[in-house]
Amino acid sequence: MSPPAPQPGPDTLSWELGGTSRIPFAVYTDEQRHQRELERFFYKGHWCYVGLEAEIPNTGDFKRTAIGERSVIMTRAEDGAVHVVENVCAHRGMRFCRERHGNKKEFVCPYHQWSYATNGDLQGVPFRRGVRQDGKVNGGMPADFNPKEHSLTKLKVAVRGGVVFASFDHEVESLEDFMGPAILRYFDRLFNGRKLSILGYNRQRIPGNWKLMQENIKDPYHPGLLHTWFVTFGLWRADNKSQLLMDEHHRHAAMISTRGSAGQAAQVTQVSSFKESMQLEDPRFLDIVPEAWWRMGEEMPTAVMMTLFPSVIFQQQVNSVSTRHIQPDGTGAFEFVWTHFGFEDDSEEMTQRRLRQANLFGPAGFVSADDGEVIEFSQEAFKSKPQHRTLAELGGREVSDTDHMVTETLIRGMYEYWRKVMEADVDPVPSPAEAAS
Amino acid sequence: MNNWTDVAAEADLFEGAGIPVAPGGRNIALFSVDGEVFATDNLCTHGNASLCDGFIEGHEIECPFHQGRFDLRTGAPTCAPVTEAIKVWPVKVEGGRVFLDLA
Repeated sequence: MSPPAPQPGPDTLSWELGGTSRIPFAVYTDEQRHQRELERFFYKGHWCYVGLEAEIPNTGDFKRTAIGERSVIMTRAEDGAVHVVENVCAHRGMRFCRERHGNKKEFVCPYHQWSYATNGDLQGVPFRRGVRQDGKVNGGMPADFNPKEHSLTKLKVAVRGGVVFASFDHEVESLEDFMGPAILRYFDRLFNGRKLSILGYNRQRIPGNWKLMQENIKDPYHPGLLHTWFVTFGLWRADNKSQLLMDEHHRHAAMISTRGSAGQAAQVTQVSSFKESMQLEDPRFLDIVPEAWWRMGEEMPTAVMMTLFPSVIFQQQVNSVSTRHIQPDGTGAFEFVWTHFGFEDDSEEMTQRRLRQANLFGPAGFVSADDGEVIEFSQEAFKSKPQHRTLAELGGREVSDTDHMVTETLIRGMYEYWRKVMEADVDPVPSPAEAAS
Repeated sequence: MNNWTDVAAEADLFEGAGIPVAPGGRNIALFSVDGEVFATDNLCTHGNASLCDGFIEGHEIECPFHQGRFDLRTGAPTCAPVTEAIKVWPVKVEGGRVFLDLA
């Protein structure tokens, strides 16, 4: 019989071998840590994705979205600028905005009709000065009630290349410093100042912890193995010329790969695809046309998958470009919103090509449907075995940029950052004896 | 062609707020400011509120709902959230009665 596993304290996780190559199942299921993640990653010190400027081109346009588990609204106000406000009425806290998007002159909470300008300023409060009855004024707000003190919560906003980020933390570093130079370079490659056009959305709810989606896009091990569609039709090979880059904190990453033209996929994946005789009913799914903006120095990357921690993935897979927005909902689920876009100067043919290639992605995508399922099945195991851990040791146990795909270094890097933030200044949880005294 | 219609006794008016009148089924508010009488549509152009229940500040009526304001002399909006002018009606006072020109 093996000795009993060491019992960790109420707020300590057992990280086998001391590093981050063995990730405790509990990081995906623990409610207390989930709240700390929201506070420390989504609501403080980080920029979170909220949308694209092209979603709100006109004055009064708005889109309801989320940062972490908080509902927020991205608006284009009278001043022409993008504002992000929290969807919580200053009066009774109601999430007053129910539409996903639209155009409004003002926001009015239906509960008591408090009215806000589209920049979040409180404009009017019914019966603020009371109600007249028989020559007498009854009630009303106190004389010192100052509407300026009761705006909607206004977030700090940064817009770069048509992409809108916001932070509840007005002390947050600049968006550029947040991304760091390595990631910023690839961000600017995709969002290089051309006006974006919105092609459409996919929305899904994945019954797994939100971090698993970040990890999925920091994991170049699985695409050629899980995604038989990739293997069968040669879109992803483990021997593609490739690079894995991180910011200095190892929280963000870019997986950059350039599709080669040689050979059968099975030669490198060792997966002899049982579907290798399959043909596409419509070969236009693979009608790939290189674009000038792909170029980075000598390279013409065909796939660049960027993870911006904690909230978003920016994706180029050949001609399909999209953002994927991660919106946690408890430890065991997240909303996942895909925004497929193009560029205003795209030809009609290019728009059709982007739309066709977008069939690979989203909840029913030829490729991405697989990811939603494996995340769900991992989460199921995590719940049932909280003392166990995952293994992320491909390519070693260290964290570094690489010039190949055969590594889980980006996942280890993300947890290195996670531990640094999550383990800092944790109030010790009192033992039952201390709590009782 | 004027169409002066007797709508109220001047004595019914008071300073600070308005009274509603309904000549021919219209919904109109009368206000008295320093002895001068003004008439506007009663329903605010913004929310679903009666301006006669509002509060007069100088020559402005402040809506009781959202504190938007209109100039009683012109009907022009003077404070957000109202953006659309309110209709004003010509007024004359004769023999203690208030008349509106509803033409």
